[in-house]
Amino acid sequence: MLRGAAVRAALLRAVRGAPGRAGLGRAVPRAEEEEEEEEERQRGGRVPLYPGHIPTTPLQKALLAAGSACAALWDPYRHDMVAVLGETTGCLALPKLRDRMRNDPEGYRILQERPRIRLSTLDMARLGGLPDGTLGREYIRFLEDNKVSPDTRMPAKFVDDEELAYVIQRYREVHDLMHTLLGMPTNMLGELPRSVLPTDPSDGFWPIGIPDPRPREVHGEVSSIPVPAPLSSVICEVVVKWFEAVQTGLPMCVLGAAFGPVRLNARKLQVLATELLPWAVRSGRNASCVLNVYYEQRWEQSVESLREEIGIFPPPAVCV
Amino acid sequence: MAPTCKRRVSGKALANGSVGVIYQVFENVAEKYDVMNDSMSLGIHRVWKDILVHKMNPSPGTLLVDVAGGTGDIAFRFLNYVRSVRERQLQQKLRHHQNLSWQEISKSYQEEKSNPLGDSQVVVCDINKEMLKAGKKRAQHLGYSEGLSWVLGNAEELPFDDDKFDVYTIAFGIRNVTRIDLALQEAYRVLKPGGRFLCLEFSHVSNPLLSRLYDLYSFQVIPVLGEVIAGDWKSYQYLVESIRRFPPQEELKAMIEDAGFLKVDYQNLNSGIVAIHSGFKL
Repeated sequence: MLRGAAVRAALLRAVRGAPGRAGLGRAVPRAEEEEEEEEERQRGGRVPLYPGHIPTTPLQKALLAAGSACAALWDPYRHDMVAVLGETTGCLALPKLRDRMRNDPEGYRILQERPRIRLSTLDMARLGGLPDGTLGREYIRFLEDNKVSPDTRMPAKFVDDEELAYVIQRYREVHDLMHTLLGMPTNMLGELPRSVLPTDPSDGFWPIGIPDPRPREVHGEVSSIPVPAPLSSVICEVVVKWFEAVQTGLPMCVLGAAFGPVRLNARKLQVLATELLPWAVRSGRNASCVLNVYYEQRWEQSVESLREEIGIFPPPAVCV
Repeated sequence: MAPTCKRRVSGKALANGSVGVIYQVFENVAEKYDVMNDSMSLGIHRVWKDILVHKMNPSPGTLLVDVAGGTGDIAFRFLNYVRSVRERQLQQKLRHHQNLSWQEISKSYQEEKSNPLGDSQVVVCDINKEMLKAGKKRAQHLGYSEGLSWVLGNAEELPFDDDKFDVYTIAFGIRNVTRIDLALQEAYRVLKPGGRFLCLEFSHVSNPLLSRLYDLYSFQVIPVLGEVIAGDWKSYQYLVESIRRFPPQEELKAMIEDAGFLKVDYQNLNSGIVAIHSGFKL
């Protein structure tokens, strides 16, 4: 990278010519050139490759990775630090992910067309009007229930390749869809999907897309089958992180997966370890690359059929 | 803490250093200003500011204007210093008058309670509302109420009359002023004859080894700290670059002399990482 800067500087000098000689460009005073080079070198020797890009030296990346890891552990709500950690540690995993996308026809199309999931590109009204159980409808429901918006994802800053920056951006924007596909909503207290839940809201949460085998209240008798209690948001995030870690291999996902369960109590840990995580890992291994799905063209597809196509096993019903 | 929505400042605009852009930079950094100062300088900035106030050696009754005083670091130190000097004065007075009646002694206690600062006052002036707000909050939190005023103003055009203040300080602020000569002229104008000008600012390190280590730390570590702690790489990149562009010790000394100050001198702290320039209006 420093070599690149030296080459570019040498070319510039050749084009500009030494002061006094007839060069191809204006003769620039040596001092100014040196100052510019000095500043460039200090900035990592590179120019920004895409809007929002901050070129960094390897030392800066290492410090950023360490600092953002500490900051994210200290304050789990610092989503920007999680994002920075992902960017600075993804230098090995991102090219592999990009190659997997290139080798798949749908993934290749995504890399060419560069679709973005943003409020300005989504037709929220149309998606909300789709039938229940379709990807579009459930995604909108997820966004509304959790009061999140696809625009809150940080743009990539420290990735030094324009295509890889898009890959990580796509991964971030697809994260919410992962929640939907895995049936892991993060908020149980909002409106629950009516089509797949028992009519009595006190029965709690049931994962999206699974037919509810529990008997409804008949003639005033209440079912004796233990009702699954709502899954906490931390558990949902951990499950999605494990799935993503297996799928993408990004160190940030692996770290999040490893450290996520740290603050959970024993009961929740048991549920995680015995049922949810094995399912997430199995699904992650079995499924094709989730970044290779052109979600924008599949809003009308039902969540179940999309799961089958990708290779995600139906989520288990758990008691917590 | 969720990252607040901050206006992004473009690198090119920062390099040109216009007033509006610098305003935005400090608007972004106001909340985390003190935390960042501590982490970037590893807490040493507190020692630098202590040394500045000790060099000032204010006596009770001094009227200080602290320009670009933002979050009030110098102002609070000034008030503490003056308060302790005043206490010592009153104690001295008591000790010298051994034959006071009880009434006179209790009157002097009341005097101490009613006028702990001895009529000293500090006016904190800053161009940025967010920094002043942060400073006021800090003052409340730390319990400073008397002798403190907060004024919104531009160092190049101070909203004060001529010949008003005994001491003028500007700590880590003159670097951000677009026209340093104007700020120095204003400083000369608002000081009383006999008044003192004090400037605490980053300066040039002449020792080559230290200079390289300092550069390495500045350019590699400080923007990273800015990103991790304040979520703002670009503002701290600007900070480091503005330090490099600032005139070195002798040049600043010449500029201060040009504004009319006499007996101008400077003191290097930490081999020139920071320098205190001092001048008198005589």
